[in-house]
This record gives sequence, structure tokens and C-alpha cells, in this order.
Amino acid sequence: MGSGRTQRKRQTDLEIISEWIDEGSRVLDLGCGRGIFLEHLKNRRGIRGVGVDINVDKISSCVKRGVTAYQGDALAFMDVFDDKHFDWVVCSRTLQEMSEPGLLLEKALRVGRNVAVGFANYAYWKNRVHWLLHGSRPRNKVFTQEWAESRADVPISIGIFENYCAAKEIEICQRVYLKSDWKTPLQQLPNLRTGYAIYSLRKQ
Amino acid sequence: MNDAQSMTPEIPGDVGLVEYHDFLCEQPFTFDCGKTLPGFVLRYETYGHLNREKNNAVLICHALSGDHHCAGIHSLKDRKPGWWDNLIGPGKSIDTNRYFVICSNVLGGCQGSSGPSSINSQTGEPYFLDFPEVSIADMVRAQYLLLTQQFELSELHAAVGGSMGGMQVLQWGIAYPGFAKRIIGLATTGRQYAQTIAFNDVGRCAIMQDPNWNEGRYEAGKGPDVGLAVARMMAHITYLSDKGMENKFGRQRKASDQGNPFAAEFEVENYLRYQGKSFISRFDANSYLYITKALDHFDLYGESGQMEDSLCAMESRVLIVGFTSDWLYPPEQNRDIVHALLRCGKDATYAQLNMDLGHDSFLLHAPELYQLIENFIND
Repeated sequence: MGSGRTQRKRQTDLEIISEWIDEGSRVLDLGCGRGIFLEHLKNRRGIRGVGVDINVDKISSCVKRGVTAYQGDALAFMDVFDDKHFDWVVCSRTLQEMSEPGLLLEKALRVGRNVAVGFANYAYWKNRVHWLLHGSRPRNKVFTQEWAESRADVPISIGIFENYCAAKEIEICQRVYLKSDWKTPLQQLPNLRTGYAIYSLRKQ
Repeated sequence: MNDAQSMTPEIPGDVGLVEYHDFLCEQPFTFDCGKTLPGFVLRYETYGHLNREKNNAVLICHALSGDHHCAGIHSLKDRKPGWWDNLIGPGKSIDTNRYFVICSNVLGGCQGSSGPSSINSQTGEPYFLDFPEVSIADMVRAQYLLLTQQFELSELHAAVGGSMGGMQVLQWGIAYPGFAKRIIGLATTGRQYAQTIAFNDVGRCAIMQDPNWNEGRYEAGKGPDVGLAVARMMAHITYLSDKGMENKFGRQRKASDQGNPFAAEFEVENYLRYQGKSFISRFDANSYLYITKALDHFDLYGESGQMEDSLCAMESRVLIVGFTSDWLYPPEQNRDIVHALLRCGKDATYAQLNMDLGHDSFLLHAPELYQLIENFIND
């Protein structure tokens, strides 16, 4: 992650989430990386944000951008806040890297009035074909590394994610399915055709 | 996006020869404890130039045994430069080409500022224990008078300090909201816990049980040197770490002294005894008592037990840095400050550096720290 290509790919993702977030909101970005998204939100929406990341270089880059950041574990960090402290909690390409994504989601829904989630849809048809033909994890623009070097990556698909939300009584307020270019919206057969999915969630 | 590549390469220089100045405040100064002095002296140094708008000043706050001399040298014969010379200077992280750096000594100290060894004009002899009990807030209030009267500042670009200096910069943010635009606190805490108070008290007992202490009344050069050296040796251990000491000394031995089986045998003993001995030549035992008490009394949690109640006044942007091997003011105590600030909606960043060198990590060669400070201060 972090290559120029991936950054460009993420542009639409960030644009869409930005549209949802009101002026002056209090935003928590889980897995904020170098703070590009929070900087964008700060400039465009005048939000007050804080990002969480475990890597000190990323925090240092956030600081350079004028983005407030916290180095540490996202789960433990959320425990120090009251319910609904944040207007928005953003998990953009973060959920799949957590060892217990459900727990992260639960905590995010507790401290955030709204939660924005974005992930690459593992059930995208080309991934399925790859598995069928090769019996191995696909390697492409999204999954750039060989399995041995790659970070932990929980395969999340639109189907299982939406079923999970229904079972946990998580309200899906908005959903956006993007094609494999991560730009063009689509409606039909989302679990098969979507490259990247973005949700706005809520739980009372 | 690669931030490292966008850095302009610059060859850092040194501030070179510097000299100290004394700020004499002739107004009565009332301490938190209620006692009043007719005035006080603060010794300080400055590097760089104050701009016309008077908005480029950076205040450096020192730790317990530090002083006003944080960069440059006093004479070409000096063996070592000021204690934060690797951070402060032209082209360095705190760039003296851009910023006007001020570092003052603390009230209650013994390096030129008013303290228990200063002469009481009413008696003609040192104050000794008649010197008012000093608090971190008193130290900060005295610095405020220096900045506003001597330099006529109405703002600071940043206030930076580690350990006790970190307590001071937090106090700056609380006592004078918005005065310091940026606050950087390193290896610090919102209050000391029992273990740290315990260590401080062992140090104080070592001093007070030295017969030369004499209830605080001793002549210069005839003080409780043994007690002060032992206090320093023990405190010095708390500034290091298990791993750091092991890497530096292990079980290495020095040349043995045949006469005394209890002479320093291991390198670590030799090192600590040297630290103790060199400390007595530059530090006053009564100042040590006063300042360690100020540390013990510092408590941002207050009566409510909630740090938010004191930190909610803060209007500065804050950067707090903890060090993994610091067991004196461990990372969680640094994190707690940031948690409380964020809970009351303040702008606070937390970073944690993985260094082996314990509490003193912030004073040692730490490129990641310099980068963080530079990024924060130049933003």
C-alpha cells in the first residue's frame, strides 16, 4: 500500500466519504497512514480530526501535514472515549487488516455517531476466477504482495459484510459500489462486480 | 507520497559561543505556598534573533538537573556543548536561523537563578530552608515574567521540554492559554505516582541524613556531598534502563583496587560514582530537595482526579512523545495526557519512540525525535 497508483485509486473513496461528513465534524481516522485523508477533510470541511496509526514514521508525516495523530493500538485508543464522542469514525481499508474486524467495528460504532467503512470486495469476479483457475490468492493492483510478504488480510466481501450488519443490527445508511477501477458506480450484482465498497453505518 | 524526499538537505551548524544573562525582577513574587520574595533572578541564554513581530520565540524548559545552557559553548575550552546542542542550532530541528530560542533556569535552582543558596538581603546570608517552597507553577510564572518583561513577548511560537520540562510546558498551556502556540512535552507525566515519589524521597533522605546537611544550613562547598552524591547515583539509575545499562556496561570490570575490596570494581559502579561525584560540584543539595518536592507536588489531576479539569483550559497544539524504555515516566503516563486532551476536544498528538535508553532517551541522539519536533514546530 502507499504506492502512487493505490493513492490515485483511493481518491474516489476519499471523495465519497468527504461528501458525507458535515462541516466542523469531529472525525477519527483509524489507520490514518500519513494523514492525507484528514488533511483533505480539514482543508475542505474544516473538520477537527485525529488519526491513529502504529507506525512512528506515519505519525511524523501526519505532524508535518498539521494533522493530529495518535501512535498506538486503535482498539485500546477507542476505549478512552465516551459513547458517540466522534461524529464520524473512518475505517478506510483498515478493517481487513485487523485480527478481529468485528470488534473494531463494534468499538467504532460505540464511539462514533457514524462510521464510514471502505474495503476491496474479495468476492469480485476476477478474484473468484483466479481462485478457481489457480487455487491461489490473486495478485494484482489491490493485492500487490506475495502471500509471504503481505500484511494480514481478512477476505471481506459485500455479501458477508452486509449479512453481518443485518445480524448485528447495524444500520447501513448509505452504500456505494464501485467497479474495479474504484471510480465508476454500479448497481447490479454488486457482490460479483464490485471492486471497492463504501458504507456509512450507524448503531444506536 | 514520500515525505523524506521532500526534505531539503541542509548542513546543520552550531550556535557557537554563547553567554548567559540574568533577568532581575524587582517586583514582589508570591509563591503558590503563600510566601513572598521581594524579587528574584532568573538566569537564561538565548540563541538566534527575535523578529520584529516578536512571534518566533521558542522556550526550552529543562529537566531536574538541567540548566539554562542548552546549546553552544561558553568558551573554546569547553569539553561539552549545552545539553540539547544536537537539537538546537542553525539548520537543526529547532533552527536558530528561524527561531529565537530562550532557555531559562528554574526558580529554586542553583545555577544562577534565585534558590535556597541565594543571599537573603534581610539576613545577609543564604535563605537555606527559609526559601519559599517552590512549585512547577511558580517556575512557569517566573518564566512568564522573564518573557513578558524582558522581551515584551505576547506569544511563544513553541514551548518545548522533557521530564520536568514537560511538566512546565503543560503548565504553560494551562496557566497562559494560547500564549504558547505549540507545546512539545517529552517523557513527562501529569503527576508522579508512588514509585517515583518514593525514589525522590530516598534521595532526599540521603541528603538530610548526611551530618553536613545541618538542617539545610551549610556553607558553600561544605554541604552534604555524600548524601547528594548518593541521591544522584540512585536517581541516575531511574533515568536509564535495564537494557541500556546492560549494553553500556554489562559486567565489565575496571582495573582493581588491591586495598579496598569494596572499591568500585564493575564499570557500572565506577560510572555511577563518577556521576555522583561530578554532580556535587554543580548542584546544591537544598535545591535538590526543593525541586524534587516540586516534582512530587505537581498534579494535573487535581482534586477531581480528572486531568480534563485542568487541561480543558489549553489552547495550544500539543505534541507528547513517550519512550518505550522509560520506566520513570512510562509511555502510559504520557498517553494519559493525550487521552485527556483529546477527550476535551483539544488538538494533541502522541508519538512513541522505541529507544533502549530509558527516561534520558530524549536527551540522547534520537533522529526520529528530531524529525518529529522539526515537523511539529515548522508546521
